[in-house]
Amino acid sequence: MNVRSQISMVFHLDKCIGCHTCSIACKNIWTDRKGTEYMWWNNVETKPGTGFPTQWENQEKYRGGWELVNGKLQLKSTSKAKTLTNIFHNPSMPSMDDYYEPWTYKYDELFNAPEGSDQPTARPISMVTGEYINVEAGPNWDDDLGGSPVYAESDPNLKGLTEEQRQQLFAIERLVFFYFPRICNHCLNPSCVAACPSGALYKRGEDGIVLIDQKRCRGWRACVAACPYKKTFYNWSTGKSEKCVLCYPRLETGQAPACFHSCVGRIRYLGVLLYDADRIEEVAKLPNEQLIDGHRSLVLNPNDPAVIAAARQNGIHDSVIESAQQSPVYKFVKEWKLALPPHIEFRTLPMLYYVPPMSPVMAQREDDTVSSVSSEFFHDIEQSRVPLQFMANLFGAGHQGKVVYALKKQKAIRTYRRAKTVGDITMDVAERMLREADCTVEEAEAIYKLTSLCTFEERFVIPPMHREEAIEMMREPSEHKTSVGFGFMDAPQRGL
Amino acid sequence: MTETSERVLLQRPLRTAATVLALIALFAVPLWGQEAATDFKQNCMSCHTVGGGRLTGPDLKNVAQRRDRGWLTTFIQDPKSVIDASDAYAQELVKSSRGVVMPTLPAMTKARVEALLTLIDAESKLEKSQFAGVQISERPFTPRDVEIGQGIFMGTIATKNGGPSCMSCHTVQGIKLFGGGTLAPDLTTVFERYQGRKTLSTWLSAPATPTMQSAFKKQALEGEEILALVAYFQSTLARNPEDVSAERLNFILVGLAGALLVMGLFDVIWNKRLRTVRRALVQERKLETVNE
Repeated sequence: MNVRSQISMVFHLDKCIGCHTCSIACKNIWTDRKGTEYMWWNNVETKPGTGFPTQWENQEKYRGGWELVNGKLQLKSTSKAKTLTNIFHNPSMPSMDDYYEPWTYKYDELFNAPEGSDQPTARPISMVTGEYINVEAGPNWDDDLGGSPVYAESDPNLKGLTEEQRQQLFAIERLVFFYFPRICNHCLNPSCVAACPSGALYKRGEDGIVLIDQKRCRGWRACVAACPYKKTFYNWSTGKSEKCVLCYPRLETGQAPACFHSCVGRIRYLGVLLYDADRIEEVAKLPNEQLIDGHRSLVLNPNDPAVIAAARQNGIHDSVIESAQQSPVYKFVKEWKLALPPHIEFRTLPMLYYVPPMSPVMAQREDDTVSSVSSEFFHDIEQSRVPLQFMANLFGAGHQGKVVYALKKQKAIRTYRRAKTVGDITMDVAERMLREADCTVEEAEAIYKLTSLCTFEERFVIPPMHREEAIEMMREPSEHKTSVGFGFMDAPQRGL
Repeated sequence: MTETSERVLLQRPLRTAATVLALIALFAVPLWGQEAATDFKQNCMSCHTVGGGRLTGPDLKNVAQRRDRGWLTTFIQDPKSVIDASDAYAQELVKSSRGVVMPTLPAMTKARVEALLTLIDAESKLEKSQFAGVQISERPFTPRDVEIGQGIFMGTIATKNGGPSCMSCHTVQGIKLFGGGTLAPDLTTVFERYQGRKTLSTWLSAPATPTMQSAFKKQALEGEEILALVAYFQSTLARNPEDVSAERLNFILVGLAGALLVMGLFDVIWNKRLRTVRRALVQERKLETVNE
């Protein structure tokens, strides 16, 4: 057992309202520089939809992630030989058009327009070239209903749905969508790190954050092609690639990352997971249907004395182990089995998990009245307005079992709380439903509390980062302390 | 230290110096002689022979009997100023070499001239001088000679000593497709420029330019090969050196075709590259809508 610690995340999609506050918080802190205009380290996608960049989940086109070839894990986009032959032309590189060309408006024309008989306008201009452009795409062009049917109907997750299901999904009165916020997954088996010819990408030993060393990056962009989630970006101004840093400077000072902190729906949870690094390769090679269980089995119980001893032996600080014991992520992923990794079939073993969303209550219009189509208070999970196969393609590597389990448990807890607070459902029915969903009353209460009444401290259990220990390997901490921090860009001088 | 030992110490360097000088004296004469011979080969032999008859310049056999040593020294060191000074004999020389003025060599010191003159004197006394020039048959050219000459020029026939083909650097009008090299002068009318068979042959037997020297030093052309080449150069005289349009056009066309071929090859190699996702998707959907 080789115990490591990883800062992991859970996004509770049932709570996401699609307000994009997270994206704006991230943009303002990290990607408002020249060359980063088109980047969204955090973006929110509407599902069904094609996402950012367009159809990023379609690896037949983008060739990201890993594949199993004769029992060996191989990168889809590159190999040692291909790195050499394709080094000046990577054939799997998305173009800026596949993301979108960032634009702003020429406000000068609006404010300084001479008096005239027609309304002045501010025409859109490209933030890259400064030329006038026709805006054709944006980071969430298929936002809500804006892009359908071109975008929503081309969602790669619609694979395996019947023609009838597809038609129902986009029928006027049944049309349904949910939101899917995405940041870097800080994977256990990151393909971006594996693909880099310069060795510029690395996974931080102490917390598993995946970073690009801006000094070693040579801009080959192999990581851009290799990441199946398309979460590394090329900065055309600096000639280096960049990605989500999980706001590590904030984490190191005990603050939640900006997108977590600003989340209006409080959908985001963050905490430490302890995992067994020795079994990563073995798990990444499992067949699709075993991947989720395998991935879960990598996560170790932080209360197990054997795990604690092994963690200590690996130099993991007691305070980090304590933090792991409090981790909300551990509860969602391992204890309650509510949170599932996105597209685990890409085999990068993402460490950002999603609680799949319940679909809106099914209703039907009859003449002038709208009524629920189900006899029960909540609809049958099997009859969800978002077809289960769609959810399974997104969170279950195509298999519905784990998704159904998570949705049924959520439905049972809602029913249970309805019985308790409103009382129009009997407790017998509610408790039977809980049992069927593999959930005890205590667990239901705990899930309810962490979902609905959670405090800041409960959502974000940030471990002490012990930078002084990490620095110690390279420098005397007291010496380092005097050479960092805030200071003058231009030192003040005497005189005029 | 005693007085005796001091004297011994002083005497030793003197004795060593004497030995060295003696050794130098022993080898010096043949060394100098050899140097003059090399000098002659490199700088004089392309225009002059000793007892081999006239080339561009006159045969130098017994030149010392024609002019006195003082005049010769001045002339060899700076031919141009002697000619410009309206020296009658020098004027006559220029006329007989059809206006070609002997080049002034920059480092032609008095000692070098002396050595050369001594060498020429010595060679003049011999029955057959080593500078009589390559003995090239004077038989008339046959069409076969021209053919072999062209082969040697284009490198399809290897020379006996393995010298480089002329075409690597030179061109002659009328060579198919691209023409020859452009590094060195066009040789279409070289036969005329070098005033005919005899001089051109001699020049080829001992080329006088540094580039040719280094290329042919160890791989000199044989007499028969030179004959064939000269025959070839005579045959090319009729061609017009100014007419290069066909070769240039060919070069551009073949270059373009090659570039297109390489681009096509790249397109095939990276055929599965990611071209566009979003634009293609929108386009495809638009077409579907139109068809419906």
